[in-house]
Formats: sequence, C-alpha cells, structure tokens
Amino acid sequence: MEILHSGLLQRALLEVVVLGGACGALGVWLLHLREVYAAESLAHAMLPGLVLASLAGVPLLLGATGGVLAVAALIALAARDSRLGSEIAVGVVVTATFGLGAVLALAPDVPVGLDKLLFGDLLGAATADLLAAGALAVIVAVALLAGHRAMTLTVFDPVSAPSLGARPARVRLAVLALLAVAVVAAVLSLGNLLVFALLVAPAAAAMRIGRSVRAQVLLAAALGASAGVLGLVISAELDVAAGGAVALAAIALYLAAGLAGSSRSTARRRSIVEALGAER
Amino acid sequence: MRWLTDPLAAPFMQRALLAALGLSVAGGLLGTWIVLRRLAFFTHAAGSATFPGLVVAGPWGLAPPIAALAAGLGFAGMLARMTRRGATSSDAATGLLLAGALALGIVLASDVYPSGTGVDRLLFGTLLGLSDADLWLTLAVAVAAITATAALGRTWLMTGFDPAAARSLGVRAARGDGLLLALLAVSVVAALPAVGALLVTTLLVVPAATARLLTASIGALLAASVALAAAESVTGLLLAYHLDLPPGPAIAIVGGGAFALAALATAAPWRSGVRATG
Amino acid sequence: MTTVIETADLAAAYASGPPALSGVTFAADEGQAVAVLGPNGGGKTTLFRALLGEIAVVRGTITIGDATAYVPQTERSRLDFPVSALDVALMGAYARTRWYRRVTAADRASARAALERVGLADQARTRFGELSGGQRQRVLIARALVQDARVLLLDEPFGGVDHASEQAIMDTLDDLRADGRVLLIATHDVEQARRWDRVLCVRGEQIAYGAPADTLTNAVLEATYGPEIVMLDCGHRAVAIQHHHH
Repeated sequence: MEILHSGLLQRALLEVVVLGGACGALGVWLLHLREVYAAESLAHAMLPGLVLASLAGVPLLLGATGGVLAVAALIALAARDSRLGSEIAVGVVVTATFGLGAVLALAPDVPVGLDKLLFGDLLGAATADLLAAGALAVIVAVALLAGHRAMTLTVFDPVSAPSLGARPARVRLAVLALLAVAVVAAVLSLGNLLVFALLVAPAAAAMRIGRSVRAQVLLAAALGASAGVLGLVISAELDVAAGGAVALAAIALYLAAGLAGSSRSTARRRSIVEALGAER
Repeated sequence: MRWLTDPLAAPFMQRALLAALGLSVAGGLLGTWIVLRRLAFFTHAAGSATFPGLVVAGPWGLAPPIAALAAGLGFAGMLARMTRRGATSSDAATGLLLAGALALGIVLASDVYPSGTGVDRLLFGTLLGLSDADLWLTLAVAVAAITATAALGRTWLMTGFDPAAARSLGVRAARGDGLLLALLAVSVVAALPAVGALLVTTLLVVPAATARLLTASIGALLAASVALAAAESVTGLLLAYHLDLPPGPAIAIVGGGAFALAALATAAPWRSGVRATG
Repeated sequence: MTTVIETADLAAAYASGPPALSGVTFAADEGQAVAVLGPNGGGKTTLFRALLGEIAVVRGTITIGDATAYVPQTERSRLDFPVSALDVALMGAYARTRWYRRVTAADRASARAALERVGLADQARTRFGELSGGQRQRVLIARALVQDARVLLLDEPFGGVDHASEQAIMDTLDDLRADGRVLLIATHDVEQARRWDRVLCVRGEQIAYGAPADTLTNAVLEATYGPEIVMLDCGHRAVAIQHHHH
C-alpha cells in the first residue's frame, strides 16, 4: 500500500473521508424526505455559476455558492405554482441552467475544462478544499443533531407536525439549504455529476440495514467514508478516474448491504408508475 | 432572412430539423404525461443511464441507438425490480441507478476507451452525423407516441388522478403504465443524438411544463406541448448553427426562456387572484 | 360540569380564500365526546385545523380551556420510517423540549405510561409500521396523552380497522372520557355517531348540533350529505354511503 504514503493521496483520502461521512449522514434525511431529485439537480445546476466564476477569475467556491443560491431560488419560485409541483419545477430549472452551464463551459476562453467541472478533481484537493470539507462536516453534524426531532416529525407525520412543534415547510427548506452547503463544499472534489452518488448510495445502503434513524445516520456516515477510501485505493491501483471509482464503490456497498440486510418490506405491490409518482 | 434560409441549405441541418420536428411530436405528447404523472426524474435518469451504453457502442462495434436502448431498458428493468421489492423507495432507486450509470460511463470514457467519441458530444448532443437510422427511429417514436396517446391516454389519465379507480382496472392499468415507461425509454434514446444524454428533459419535460402553465384542458395541453417543443427545438437548432453551440444546451436555454416568460405572464400580480393556492 | 371547548359563529379560511367553514357554534363539557359528521370536503378537517390554531379564524370566537392534540388517520403517517411505538409516543413531548436538550426522563416515563394506558406496553419496542391499524391508532392516542392534551381531535379513528381493534379503541376512548377529557371524533359512520354524547353536522357550514337523538334525523342527514345519500338500514347499523372523490 505504498500509495498511502504519497502526500497527494493522503490529502485526497482525508478529503474524501470527511466528505463521504458528511454526505452519507445528510443523505439519510434526504432519502427519508424524498428529496433525491433536488439533491441531484442542485449539483448539476450550479454549473453556470462555476463556469462564470472561472471566467471572471474569482474563486470557484464563490461561483458554486452563487450558482446554488440562484438555482434554489428559481426552484422555489417555480415550485410555488401548484399546477406543476416541485418535481416538474426541478426538472425545468435544472434543464435550463445545466444547458446554460454547458454552453458557457464550451466557450474557448474558459480556463477550467468542462471535464474537471463535471467529473471533479479529487487528487487536486487543496488546503482550502480540506477546510471546506471540515467545515461542512461540523455544520452537518450540528444541524442533524439539532434538527433530529423536527425532521422526524416532518417525515413521519407532516399533518400533525405543526401541533407537535415543527413546521414541515421550514424544515424542508432548512434541509435543502444544508444540501446546498454540502454540494458547494463537495463539488470541486467530486464533480458536478458524482457528488450526488455519495449523497444517495451510502444512505440507501444504511437504510436497508439500520433499525432506527440514528443507526442509519451513523452507518451511512461510516459507509460514505469507506466508499471514499475504497474508491480512491481502487482508482490509484487500477489508474481509473477517482470520482467515478468513489461513486462505483458507494454503489457496490449498497449492493452488499442488500445482501446483508433482510429486505423487510411493508409496502404493497403496486404499479411502478404509481410508485414513482406517489412518493413525491 | 438568410439567417433562416442558410442553415436550410446544409443537408446536415435539414436532417437535424427533420429529427427535431419528429422528436417534438413524441416529446410534446409524452411530455404531457410526464408532467401529469410526475415522471421528470425518471425521464432524466433514463437519459443519463444511456451514457455508458453510448460510450461502449463505438469500441464494441454496436450501433449507438441499439447500445443506448439496451442501457435505457436495462435501467427501466432494474428500477422496476428494485421498486417492486420495496426495499428501496423509487426515488432513491432512480438516484442510485442514475449515479451508477454516470460513474460507469465516466470511468469507461476516461480510462477504458479514452480515444472514443468526445464525451461532450454524448452528453450534450450534436448537429452533425444524424444517420438514416436515427431519423427512422425518430419517426417510429413519433408514430408510437401518437398511437399510444390515442389508445391509452384515458387509462394514463385515470391512473394518474385516481389510483384507487385505476387499481380496479387491474392488469390494464399496470400494462398501460409499463408501456408508458417503455415508450419513454425509447423516446429518450431517439432524442439522444440531438440533445445528448444529460438534457433529454429539454424536449420531454420543459415544453409540456410550459404548456401546463398556459392551459389545463388535456387536448390543448397535448397540442400546445407539441407546438412549443417544435418552436423551441427549431429556434435552438438555428442558434446552435449560427453560434457553433451543441444543440442540446441551446434548446435547453430557449425552452427555459419560454418557460420563464409563461410563468411571468400567468403569475403576474393582476392574475394572482385566479391562481390555485397550495 | 365545566365547559372545556366552545365556539361562537366560527368561520375559518385557508390563506386568502373564502371561508371553508362558517357558522359553527357548539360547546362541549368535561368528559363529553362529540361526533363530527360531514361529507369529504365538508369542513371536518378545517374545523380541526382552526381549533389547533393552524388556519385563520375570519369570524367568531374559539374558547379552549386546555391543551389540544390532533390524532391523525394512521394511513397519513409514513409506515416505512424506522420509529418504534415508544418513539412515536415520545413525539408528544417534542414541543416542550428545547432543540439542544434531550427528552427528559419524566417524559420517557410518561410515554411508557401512555402506552400502558392504551394497552400497548408490551409493544413499546415494535416498529410503528409493523403494528396493526388499530394498534397504530392507539399509539397515536398515547402520543396525544403525552402532549397532556385534555381536548383530543380524532380524525376517522375507526377508518380501516377490524372489529376487534374497533372495540379496543372504543374502550380507550371511554377511558379518556371517564377521565374528563373532551373528544371530537370526525367520522362517516352515522350509527357510531349515535354512541357519543353530542353530534355536530357540518357541510361548509354548521347543519346541526345537539344530542344524537335530536340531531340524527333524516332531514339533517340529507342536508349534511346531500340528496345522493343512501341509507342502509341493516337492522342495527346505518351507514352514510357517498361517492368518494380524492
């Protein structure tokens, strides 16, 4: 395991362990709240912000933040229209912004390549990226502890939640804000397309095994960090793209969890379209 | 005027425009069902899931539509299996498959077959090189969308608004839904050459969502979606031609602009009284 | 007898819309159970939400002397969410627990006592989604007890439960009445409404309020459910049947 001695890889390992842990833990709540599409889109749709920042020569982190804020505002605006609902609003906004981002990114004078923005650059993790990842982990941990009960009420019983002391709409907004922070912190390392894998796969794996939400969150954090390490090692040994290897490792862990966890299902059988539409 | 006629003189643009019109018929009709049944995430994921298929098509000597179709149908099949067993919720399953397909595609494209076709082209579409097969597939999808909407529209509508009543239809509703998903997967594949794997929602979701802002009646919705899809894709293609852009993003921007205009027009303060409230 | 809950000419509306329910005037004393009858969309839920202070009262007054809790239909809760019966009962203590604190030992004890009271002490560790419909309903009632509620608003508590469970829920509700709590029970079941102390019929506005014998007349029921109502009189059980629209 000589690869672990390279300074570049040590930084990348630290980065991916911290990001994997934070994203994994947050992912459990995103899955319970059925915000998977929002998680995926937020990462995609910050592309124009990233490209504009790189064109303007300002830090990419700033562009990512601006991009996420703009997209979140647009989605919130479009979703207010009850004729469409949030799913279609997300679809429209992400399509338009991602298209804009791609057009901008293909402009000849963009210093950062489209590839790097889409697929990330885990091995290029700088100190600033490590700090951002560390800050993210702290924010996620505090927010999940503080919001545990409010999120529980919002997921489990949104109808009664107000009379039990939680406002579902605000809780959802807070979770989406947390998601935005996570995506901003992770996007430069993991890439536009793959940050999402670490939000979904470890959480889905943990939810097949964990018998309580707390167990699921802790397990997902551990699985996220493990997927990071596993993916990086594979990437170094086989010389394949780091972001892709990490994402595939996370999905492999989900499949393994399926073998380990008994699939307890209380859901009745139903048409697949009904399943797709009903849960949003 | 030359801005309009010049592109038409180029044979590759004639083909692209022809494909765009065919796709608009399919995209507008099926998009209506996507919007009414909330299947945008599925559609987007099905598009992205074709990415690894496209990457290996060249090196393995497969026709790209065949490889993409295999990947897309594989995605739909795995999703159906995961949701049916109930261990993972449908949106988590969709997300997992989507992430897996993208990661696989990226690893294949950057490491296993690095010299293959440009990843940009696969992800965002191209104006060049639409083959006869692509055009025939587009035509077939358009015809299938018209036929299926005429034959099954009522079932799809009912399943969407009243699952209980639909369940009493039993097998018919389930078959109808299965057919809708299969049709979506095939249309996604037909749309790939023009708009790319990441932006199939440009034709399949955005025009119908815009139409939904403008009308509520199902007939008008279908017609307006097709018309908007056609107008947006032709405008987008012309922009792409003149500004040397990939067509997918260009159409996406036009569609996003049209949606924003429609949203502004229908949500203006003087109309706020008639807007439905949450 | 002290009056615990009272409304006078109450009208309530959802954001900026017209009143969804108006002209509601009723009063309930300690230990009374009030059946709230009405068609879907007739205003039962609106009344509950107004009593909980979640939507705007546009006219009239509400006077409630005690803490009020809402007991939802169990199908509304997410059954795949990994919480135990005890966890659900504990949710009744969330509103009084600051976000940086743990739920206190006293609240834990009160949650266990509440489960005991609804006859589910042995199911405390069972996952909520794995309980039967009737058991879930009783866990939600236990949650209301942990809220220290003296007024319980129950939404179709007998919907989709079998006969044995119905009896168990009924026993629990009788126990709560004996304790002096006030119950408002939204229901479709006309025959069951006869069992309670008072009946409130609503359809956009109040149709009638009073003792079951005075209220449940054919004229009132027709005004409540409309002419399409079908009364099935199978000897001991009359049920209002209507077309369901969702």
